[in-house]
Amino acid sequence: MRATLASVVERHDVIVCAGSGGVGKTTTAATIALWGARRGRRAAVLTIDPARRLADSLGVQLSGGEGTSVSAEVLREHGIELSGSLTAMMLDQKSAWDSLIERHAPSPEVRERILENRFYQHLSQSFAGSQEYMAVEELSRLRDSGRYDLIVVDTPPSRHALEFLEAPQRLSDFLDRRIVRWFVKPYVSAGWSAMRLVNRTAGFVLRTLEEATGVAVLTEISDFFAGMQGLFEGFAERTERVYHVLKSPKTAFVLVSSPEEEVLEEAEYLSDKMAALGMPLRAVVFNRVHEEFTAPIDRADFPRGDIRGGDQERVAACLTRSGLWPPGLVERLAANFVAYQDVARGDAMRLELFTAGLRRQVPIVRVPNFSTDLHDLGGLARLHPYLFDRSESR
Amino acid sequence: MTSAGSLLDRRLVFVAGKGGVGKSTVSTALALSAVRRGKRVLLVGLDFDDRGRSIAGLREPEGNEPVETTAGFFRQNVEGKAALEEYLHLVVPVRRVLRAVFESRVYQYFVAAAPGLKELMAIGKIWYEVDRGRWDLVIVDSPATGHALQYLRMPKAAYEAFTTGLVHREAKRVWSLLADPVATAVTVVTVAEELPVNETIDICRQVRDELVLPPGVLFVNRFHSPPFSVADVERASTARRKGVSAACDALSKAVLAAAEEELSWAALNEHCRKRLAVETGWRLVVLPMLLREEFGFADVEALSVMLDEAQAVRSKPRRVEPRS
Repeated sequence: MRATLASVVERHDVIVCAGSGGVGKTTTAATIALWGARRGRRAAVLTIDPARRLADSLGVQLSGGEGTSVSAEVLREHGIELSGSLTAMMLDQKSAWDSLIERHAPSPEVRERILENRFYQHLSQSFAGSQEYMAVEELSRLRDSGRYDLIVVDTPPSRHALEFLEAPQRLSDFLDRRIVRWFVKPYVSAGWSAMRLVNRTAGFVLRTLEEATGVAVLTEISDFFAGMQGLFEGFAERTERVYHVLKSPKTAFVLVSSPEEEVLEEAEYLSDKMAALGMPLRAVVFNRVHEEFTAPIDRADFPRGDIRGGDQERVAACLTRSGLWPPGLVERLAANFVAYQDVARGDAMRLELFTAGLRRQVPIVRVPNFSTDLHDLGGLARLHPYLFDRSESR
Repeated sequence: MTSAGSLLDRRLVFVAGKGGVGKSTVSTALALSAVRRGKRVLLVGLDFDDRGRSIAGLREPEGNEPVETTAGFFRQNVEGKAALEEYLHLVVPVRRVLRAVFESRVYQYFVAAAPGLKELMAIGKIWYEVDRGRWDLVIVDSPATGHALQYLRMPKAAYEAFTTGLVHREAKRVWSLLADPVATAVTVVTVAEELPVNETIDICRQVRDELVLPPGVLFVNRFHSPPFSVADVERASTARRKGVSAACDALSKAVLAAAEEELSWAALNEHCRKRLAVETGWRLVVLPMLLREEFGFADVEALSVMLDEAQAVRSKPRRVEPRS
């Protein structure tokens, strides 16, 4: 049996929607989760988007931490009956970190000291990769809870989609590196002089840097690590466990893209990298695809079969001959028509090239570029036929 | 507000917005428009990584040196860590000391751990480019939203957090430039569709109310303006139903479908444009959707010509001799 997006979703417990920003990832993630819920699964969709797009889509209020289940009444208003359930949650990076600290801090005093620590605030709010790390950590927590049998993750709007895969490792390297023990501990216990005895170059380098920039981070970092030793000593193992979910055979990566050139370049890079990391793509969703308006077209007038920008005069001539519309209007309608044909043709060619370059055959879904808004529940349900009934495999 | 009327008369224009709305296209079009007015322009790609992104076929410059794309139009990547190294070269003049610093593992750690240091250094580098007088205008094309605002937030946070020292002084200077409405404008790019609009309203609010930075222009990109009215298409549709000739039956049907598609985009765009105008209070500049088989550099140039005409962007053409 050939795989389809439907069979991919059915066979996996975790679906990770990856792709660059602005391609409709959030909408796609919500659409997949809703479909799962319609098919009887206890589905959850986790978004990491600070812009609250998912809440917009599902018509629920989302706040950090626990999920909000989409109510049966709201669903019924949109004519949707679920045999399963649908829960939406949004990752609030700061409160996720805070609750991690709360779970692991040895005492309330240490907890307070850490929450006020400037390095910690940086780590929990703006540290590169911190959001991505927390997303994976949350995913692993959700999966362990056993409350859901389908979790759909919408990845953060990173500069590059790949950050989602690499950032947790980078953060882990940073927090677990032996260097922490190597230079923080002597400093904590005995201050500068001891540090300089342990490693004179390191002491010198730090002093130079702190003097040059005026940024004294060492005290804050030491304080942070000293308080959280238990948690960060084993951070590498922790990250390994978290990555385990991503590498599980029950997890499927779905690439979400649009037919624009820059987006496809990014998608190509991402799909190669994913294969290299042992997390291969299982399906591709192309959003915002312009489709040709070609109905059966008179071969006598258009021997080539398709109609392009260069055919504007021929289209206009043909319509003028029919005498349906005044010539002025014919010109404008014909110009618009051939412009749309050009866009559709460009999209089709770019997608074909991308698909030909894929390393393995995966189901590919094309969702048309809808001009009507599809970001409410009813809209998501209207997308189902495009995602789940039309997928072609190659 | 005389200065507000001319975006390109500023010295620094920051371009923010969510992913996928055409920030790089608009930044490049702005740069081309300024160049046409005889200005010497530096377009900075802020924190793009080394893979390079193509802007309508133009490759990003490699490394961190300015590259002259066409006469008077320079492009450069600015990245925090490289900027920090450049800065350290300025303040730590002894080369042997610097080498020891850069080779040390502690240095890598320090760079990663110091809150906001990289962002501060990147924006400090931009300040330096504006201040050194080599350019008439510096345009900054920024990464996805959250991150872009992070850069803008940093100088103020840094000079408040560090009450003495070099970073404090530098940060304060950078902040004075960013907050100066005569020198600087923060612009935002969006498309007129429901979800991007919600996010854009939030970005505009943050820029004006939280960061208290001088709002420039809100560019509404890919705006559909059909060359026919709803009434035109209705009449055409009625005529087709009563049609006397079957000669172009399939063709006329497809042509009408394309026309309806265009009208429906236009209606959505117009609805969103109104919301943006009311809810942000920013001055809008609308840029058209260009339906192309392949969007290329000629299209960016076409957009830049339209920017020449836009009141909010326009500046009096004047010859500016490049300062050495």
